[in-house]
This record gives sequence, structure tokens and C-alpha cells, in this order.
Amino acid sequence: MVASRETYGTEFETQDLLLNVGPQHPSTHGVFRMVLQVDGEVVKDVIPHIGYLHRGAEKLCETMDFRQGIGFMDRTEYLAAFNAELSYVMAVEALADIEVPERAQWIRMILCELNRLSSHFMFMGAFGIDVGVFATPFIYAWKEREQILDLFEEVAGDRMMYAYFRPGGLAWDVPHNFKARVREVLKSTRIGINDFDGLLTKDEIFRTRTQGVGVISAEEAIEWGMSGPSIRASGVPMDVRKDEPYLFYDQIDFNVASRTEGDVYARYSCRMEEMWESVRIIEQCLEKMPDYGPIMPEKMPRMLRTPPGEVYIRTEAPRGEYGIYMVSQGGNRPYRLKVRSACLSNLQALKDMSVNQYVADAIIVLGSIDIVLSEVDR
Amino acid sequence: MNGIARSMLTTLSTFMRKPVTRDYPVVHKELPKTDRAFPLLLWDHEIDEPFCTGCHACERACPVECMTVLMKDNPNHKSLGGDSSRRKIIDKFWIDYGRCMRCNICVEVCNFEAIAMNNTWTGHETSVYDRRDLTMDLQQLLSQSRAGKINEWVPVIGQANEDPAAVKAE
Amino acid sequence: MGVDLFGFNNVNPWLDAFIRLQLAVVLITVVVMGYTYLERKIVARFNQRIGPQKTGPFGLLQAVADAVKLVGKEDLRPKSADPWTFELGPFFVFIPVLMTFVIAPFMADWNIRLLELGLIYFVAVSGLSIIGWIMAGWGSDNRYALLGALRSVAQSISYELPLVLCVVALAMFAGTYNLGLIVEQQDKVPFIVWQPMTALIFFIAALAELNRSPFDIPVGESEVAGGPFIEYSGIRWSMFQLAEYAAIFVMSIVFASMFLGGYIWPFGDQVGVGLQLVLTGAKALLFFFVVVWIRVSVPRLRIDQLMGYSWKVLLPLTLVQVLVNGLVLVNGWHEVVLLVAGLIGCAVLVTATSRAVERRPRVPATRTAPVMQGEAARV
Repeated sequence: MVASRETYGTEFETQDLLLNVGPQHPSTHGVFRMVLQVDGEVVKDVIPHIGYLHRGAEKLCETMDFRQGIGFMDRTEYLAAFNAELSYVMAVEALADIEVPERAQWIRMILCELNRLSSHFMFMGAFGIDVGVFATPFIYAWKEREQILDLFEEVAGDRMMYAYFRPGGLAWDVPHNFKARVREVLKSTRIGINDFDGLLTKDEIFRTRTQGVGVISAEEAIEWGMSGPSIRASGVPMDVRKDEPYLFYDQIDFNVASRTEGDVYARYSCRMEEMWESVRIIEQCLEKMPDYGPIMPEKMPRMLRTPPGEVYIRTEAPRGEYGIYMVSQGGNRPYRLKVRSACLSNLQALKDMSVNQYVADAIIVLGSIDIVLSEVDR
Repeated sequence: MNGIARSMLTTLSTFMRKPVTRDYPVVHKELPKTDRAFPLLLWDHEIDEPFCTGCHACERACPVECMTVLMKDNPNHKSLGGDSSRRKIIDKFWIDYGRCMRCNICVEVCNFEAIAMNNTWTGHETSVYDRRDLTMDLQQLLSQSRAGKINEWVPVIGQANEDPAAVKAE
Repeated sequence: MGVDLFGFNNVNPWLDAFIRLQLAVVLITVVVMGYTYLERKIVARFNQRIGPQKTGPFGLLQAVADAVKLVGKEDLRPKSADPWTFELGPFFVFIPVLMTFVIAPFMADWNIRLLELGLIYFVAVSGLSIIGWIMAGWGSDNRYALLGALRSVAQSISYELPLVLCVVALAMFAGTYNLGLIVEQQDKVPFIVWQPMTALIFFIAALAELNRSPFDIPVGESEVAGGPFIEYSGIRWSMFQLAEYAAIFVMSIVFASMFLGGYIWPFGDQVGVGLQLVLTGAKALLFFFVVVWIRVSVPRLRIDQLMGYSWKVLLPLTLVQVLVNGLVLVNGWHEVVLLVAGLIGCAVLVTATSRAVERRPRVPATRTAPVMQGEAARV
């Protein structure tokens, strides 16, 4: 396959080429840069450079009170901002010992799962482009995401940076036709998932490109601290929603999508199954959610202060475990805030997954981890 | 080649469907009233002056410090022969839209319901050639509300929808 | 000695050739604009979009607007580029494509020249554009460009072989390399009926020759970000585009003439110029539509899979086809034998394609993925 030293001796020894991919490259999903050391078309080494998008969001939040911090949490994970907000407000609630009304929790669940859908659609689209389908997957993804984002705009007022979850509940109530609108969106979402399923899942070229590529074993995945679909594809059915149910996930019947191959295709099909599971979860939530009821506890202080303490809250964001470690020394702002980002941990395994593969494989391996650079760099 | 055929049939099926394009600059989507663009100051049409008294509450609460507020004594106050009950009123107000992160906090902290998020398309189409043009002064912030071109919506934080059945029962 | 041109008898052959070439160049420009517009519209429809619509009625002037924009852009050259190879690269891509137009038969009496060895000429000349690709790739002094150029060369050489063998197989069946004569033989039945596998393989190899999806790895925008023309801008970049679409156009005409009966099938050669032109155009557009359809539907192959597919699947099958054609030719069997053999060949090709791409995943020995189950799995 490759002219190696053993086969041809040293007179054919070639110099490896350093190929700089990013920060401006169509397939690095943001400002990620990796330097590939390539021998012909084969990747010999990967040197990732992260930090181009570092804004110090955690440190900023330590100067903000709890309400102001929510907006910054949105921006750490802009593709699934509801999930990011959720971790943050749950941490504050745990510190301040606030009981969240039942209805608010159901709404939170529905919105988080819808956000998981929209985020996975984004993955499907970007991944389809990485694999090389011209334009189609991205537009498929976009047209379904549009429906979900329209709904978010009606509910939270914004399409990406919602600032809608508040410690104690929700900022304001959902529109009266919320349930009908969600059902409407789900209808279109089902068509969208089916489209993707038809476009990619069975395609021979897609399968030969992705199967057996970028394999990572369960042990390695655990050692790197991976989470989310990336680790579930390696045969570790780890899902915070199942393992440590938060909100009302313990009242919902759903499966944890997992595969055993650990390759790019497994990560893709895991996400595909998760989308169907999300649809199921939302349907059950709609059944169980009360139509009317409070969305905030009766007495919320105007300026929230927490007693001293520390807390670690983890939730299952679309890309994996999104954890918030928060220390409070009393007062209205966190003393220390640390975001445990799933993307950062998943990205560490990039080298293990892409060495000794082709350049084209390194690109789709990166795509299959589904990174959001603002979450990696924060 | 079944899979390839399936992919091609999928694209063919979307070929047959109706396009989903919104002809954007020509056709604007109808915005919901919850829509948030950038903050605006509201105009009190009854007394014909701004609601804002320049109390600095929003300026202090703003996480990105994009506001600058100056207050003055209200020349239209009752004690001076006017018809307003506001002793102090806004003198100068700047909001840097380039910096604002549209978190809605200024609306929530305002005690006079004097500020609201712009929920019309003018709030979204704010492209300028120079970023300094994004710093809005009092005139610009008030003009839209003064002309009545805003679908005013100031949320009450934590208020739930009223159950029509319960309201009827009362 | 003279030739006929537009009813004039005994025109000087050089003048005649010149006029015909000029017409062909105009035709290319118009058709390339039409093809880019059509591609955008078709891709848009496949994506449930509308496509260009603001420039002119139905966006028809979009291609003109693009052309004006491209001509107006600054012609950049990187400081470290090799000036001569960089500047000349686009010409070496474009001129061979232009030269292939000589043999394209648009109507019964209308072509530039019907060469006796037309198809051989076509294949030989179109292969020359590799030089331009490697010049562009090497001269740009860019690693993506170099990688793309090397991919392009490897791919062109691999797929030229099945292409040439398909041409040989068809020429054996038709008894000539002259494209005009080949078309004239198809007034009853187009050759795709007797040579289905040849047509299929020719189509696949043509996709690779044209750098179209799923064989677009030299320019794959998600990997090498444009490949050889990554450093080009303005008019030189547009020459690559022009060459690409012109190549598609000539390939679609050649395919229509070789397998779909060109201007002659199904109405014969006495139906008048207009209908013949429409027939050729319709068949060329069908080819183009399928090319675009494939482009929006399938992912891109990897370089090793691409090479393997050519050498392990396409080449042996075309060799068998040549052999079968030879047997039929020598023994004088009926053409139905060819149809049956061709259909069997198509079945084999489809199966082999599915098997080739569905072979066991390439998992290195050190990387196994053991399954963790039960409570231990919940880390």
C-alpha cells in the first residue's frame, strides 16, 4: 500500500508532507486547526491546535450574577443552547435548593429534545458534506432545522441564543398552541429523518467510506473520557439520561442507541437512532405534560443568592455529557465555574482515530465527532 | 447498487416536492410577538414623553455593558407646571447594538416598563457599513415606538398562562 | 478541391474549417452558460430550493452575471508560484477540451470534421488535459493543489483504460472509429441495446474523466478544498470551469452519438435540421441530468477505492466485453448474443460494484472494539 522503509530500503525514503488543515478550511466545522503529517495520502500523525475561539466564558461568568450567566452558557454550545442552559440552571437550582414546578420541567425536556434533534440534523448535514454529497444533505438538514428554530423563536424569542431557562423554571410561558405546534414540527421532522435515512444509511459508497474507518475501542474511548454518541458507538451504552435521570427522564420509555463497531458509520447510525428516540421522547412528554400550571416557584427572590457550597451537574447534551461544576461562597454569583465540555474530551481521541488512515478519512473522522468549536474552546 | 439507487430515489422524491424557499428580501416571515431583536425605548403617548426615567437599572444589569444612561430633571414635571408625574427623565441614552447580546435582562429589570425588545423586522435588518453606526442614541431608540411601529410585548418573568377553564369557573 | 458549407459549394476547406470552428466556440460558450444555469436549477430542485431567480427572467442571466464577475476579478498569483506553469496551466486544461469538439456530430451534415479515427482522436486529446492539471497543481506551490493534481493524474490514467477499451469494443461492433458513421448505423436501434455494459462502463469512466461526483476527489471541496485550482481566481479560475463544463458537453454529445443514436434515432436522417438538433440536444441533456442527479445523491469515493474500482472491476469487465465482441465478430453470430452477454455483464457489474464497496471493513488488528455490557458498562 505505502512505500515503507522495510520494503524498499532507505534509498526510496520519502519526506512526509505537513498538511495544514484549518483554521480556514471547509471541513473543520469552525476555527479548528489540525496539522496532518501525510505520507502520500496516508496520515501519519495529527497535531490538533485548539483555542482559536477561546473567550474565557467560564471566567466571565464568575463576574456575572446567575441570571447574566445564562446568556454566556448559550454561547458555549450554540447548536444545543437549551441543553447548555439546562446544566447551568440546574446547578444554580441545586445550590439554592429550588424546587422547579412540574410543568416547567416537562417544557424543558421537550425543548431539550427538540434541540437535540436540531443539533443532530446539523451533524447529518455537515457530515454528508464531509463525505462528499454535493449540497443535498446540508439543505435537507437546514430545511428541517428551520422548522424547529421557528418553534424556538415562538417560544423563547430567539433562534439560537435563547436565554429562556431561568433558575426556578422558565422565563415566560409557552404559547397557547405549543403542543399543536410541536406535533406539527415533529411531523415534518419525521419526513426529514426519513430523507436522511434514504440518502445516506444504505448507500454503498457511504458505507464503504465510513465502515471500518476511525475505529476506537471501548477501553480507549473510556480512557479519553469520551461521551455521548461517540462513546456509545464504541459499545459503551453510557447515557446520563438513563444512568442518572434528571428532569423526568425516569418516567419516559426510551432506548439508548448504541453500536459496537466504534467506527464512523457506527457514530453516524447511533445519531440516526437517537433522532428517532428523541421523537419518541417528545411524543411521550406531550402526553404527560399538563396544559396549564405554574412555571416558576411562588416566591422567587428578585436577586438570587445561593448559600456557600459546590455542585457538579451533568446532563446529556447532543454531543455528550455537558457538566457544570459550580462553587459558591454565598452571594449572587458563582465563585468558580467550570464547564465540562463533551466536545473537548471527544476531540482528544482524534489522533488515535485518524492515524494510518487516508486524508479523506481524517476529515470524516473529525466530522463524525461532531465538534462545536465554541464548546471546545469556551 | 441498491443503496445508491435508494439515495437517488430519495433525491428524486425531493425533486418532486414543492420548494421550501422563502423569498426572503421580498417576503418577510411573520414574526411572533416573543421575537427578540435589540432593545428599544418605549414612548409614553399619553404624556408625550419617554417612559424611561434614567434610573440606571438596565445599565447595571447589562452583562455586556452596552448601555450608557444619563438622567436629568424633568422639565415637564407637575411641580414645574407640566403634566408629567416623573420627577426625573432620561437625558441621554446610548445602546451599542454591536455589543448587545439580546439576553432580555434589561427588559426584566426595568421598573417602568420603559424598554422592550424590538420584535419587528427593522430590529433584525440592522446592517451598517461602519460598526460605530451601531451605537444608537436616544432619538433612534425612541423613534420606532414613538411612531407606533412596534408590537409591544414586555414579558412578566415566571408568569404562567391562565387556564381558560379556571378563569371561567371563577 | 472544396467542400460544402451552408449550401455554398466548393468553399476553401481552410475557410470552411475556420468558420465551423468559430461557430463551435460560440456554441461552447453559450452551452457552458446554459449548463451552469441548468446545473444550478436542477441541483436546487433536488434540494427543494428554487435556485437562481433574481437575475433576469427565471434567473436566466445568472451565468452572464457570473461571467462578468469572474472577468472583473483580480487575477491573483501567489508570490511563490512558478509563474509559467501557473499561468499556462488553465490553457493546457482548456485547449484539449476545445480540440475534442472537432469530432462531435451535432446534425446529419453538421460537424467540424468527421475524422476516420475520430474516437481515438477524442480519447487521445481529452487525455492531454492531465498535463494542465499537474501544471496547475505543481505551479501553485500549494500542498492541497499538489495533492489534488496527483489525485487527478492517478484517476485520469486509471479511468482512461476502461474508457479506451469501451471505445474499442464499440468500434469492433460498429466496424469504424468514425463517429458520423457510428451514428448512421443506429437509425433503427441505438447501440445501447446491443452494448449495454459498454455503455454503462463508458458512463462511469466518463464521470471519472470529467471529475464529477462520485469521482470528484481531485477537486473534493471538503478534503483538498478545490484541488489544483485552489490558488486561481478570476479569469483563470473561470477557464477551469469553462473546461469542465465544455468537457461535460462534448462528452454528453459523444455518449449520445455512440450509444443513444445521436441525431438519427428514432426518426431517421430525413427529418430536417431542427428536429435533429433537438434530438441531439435532448440526449445530451439527459446525460447531463443524470450526471447532476448522481452528483447530488452519492458521496465521494476515497482514492484507494477509486483506483481499486477501476483496476479490479471495470478493466476486467471491459476486457471481457472486447473478447465477446471479437468472438461475435469472428463467428458471425447474431447480435442478440451481444445483448444477452451485455445484460449478464451488467448484472455482474452491479453485483461486483456492490461487493466491491461492501467488502469487510478494514479494521487494523490492534483496534478491536470489545462490547461492554451490564453494570460494568455504565462508567
